[in-house]
Amino acid sequence: MSVPTHFNSGRTGAGKKFVADASGSAHARFMRLSSYVLTPLGILSTWWLVGLVGLPIDRVREEIGHPFPALVLIAFATLGMIHAREGMHEIILDYVHDAELKQKAIKANKIISIAIVAIWVVSLMFIAAPH
Amino acid sequence: MAKLDLSNFAQKRPLSPHLSVYRPMMTMMMSIAHRITGAALYVGMALLGLFLLGAALGSGAFSMVSWLGSGLIGAMLVFLITWAIFHHILGGVRHAFWDRGLYMDPKGREFLALGTLIGGIAMTVILWVARTLVG
Repeated sequence: MSVPTHFNSGRTGAGKKFVADASGSAHARFMRLSSYVLTPLGILSTWWLVGLVGLPIDRVREEIGHPFPALVLIAFATLGMIHAREGMHEIILDYVHDAELKQKAIKANKIISIAIVAIWVVSLMFIAAPH
Repeated sequence: MAKLDLSNFAQKRPLSPHLSVYRPMMTMMMSIAHRITGAALYVGMALLGLFLLGAALGSGAFSMVSWLGSGLIGAMLVFLITWAIFHHILGGVRHAFWDRGLYMDPKGREFLALGTLIGGIAMTVILWVARTLVG
């Protein structure tokens, strides 16, 4: 068994001084600040996304093809997935105990989160583009 | 005097999650739910992204992914994503109160945790009813 978390803070040995890399503070601050912005973006985005349920493709494009909903949805997806990636990073650090698997999971988290944002942004730009 | 060997400390630390050593409490359950809804929203964003991609590419692609936003399964999926968003938002609001030292007493903690659960469900139902009425 090994310790899963790369630990840069704390006392590293007998007589050593207490060190802190402070990465936890930056993470917590980002999660808090991004959540302030994500709250209105999330509620607005949910309103539009729920309205798409059961609609045919033409109506879907019509509903979210205007600049305002498209821009709000792009902002929600972008900031939301950065927030989600940070959250998932924390979950991986806490629950993936194998060091090698942990590093792979962190890399996969980065790639998948960027892919999701790219799909949202490109799709919404296509849908909202003037025809 | 015995010498303290710090080299093995790392190997002896307990690994999370430590769910089995605590009695379930409302605050604990809502904290777990906050993480679960966060992880579920990650998956939900991927599925909704596929739905939008289908809509962007055209009728052929949309017919492959339209089930994500129509029919009983699609409606249930979007309903659950809606609940996860509201539950997660209210979980964040709960933490914002606690960050400021508010509602930290036993009754206040339980009140906020229960408010997260009930509020998330209530906001989901209200939004769906309002959206249905507005059209």
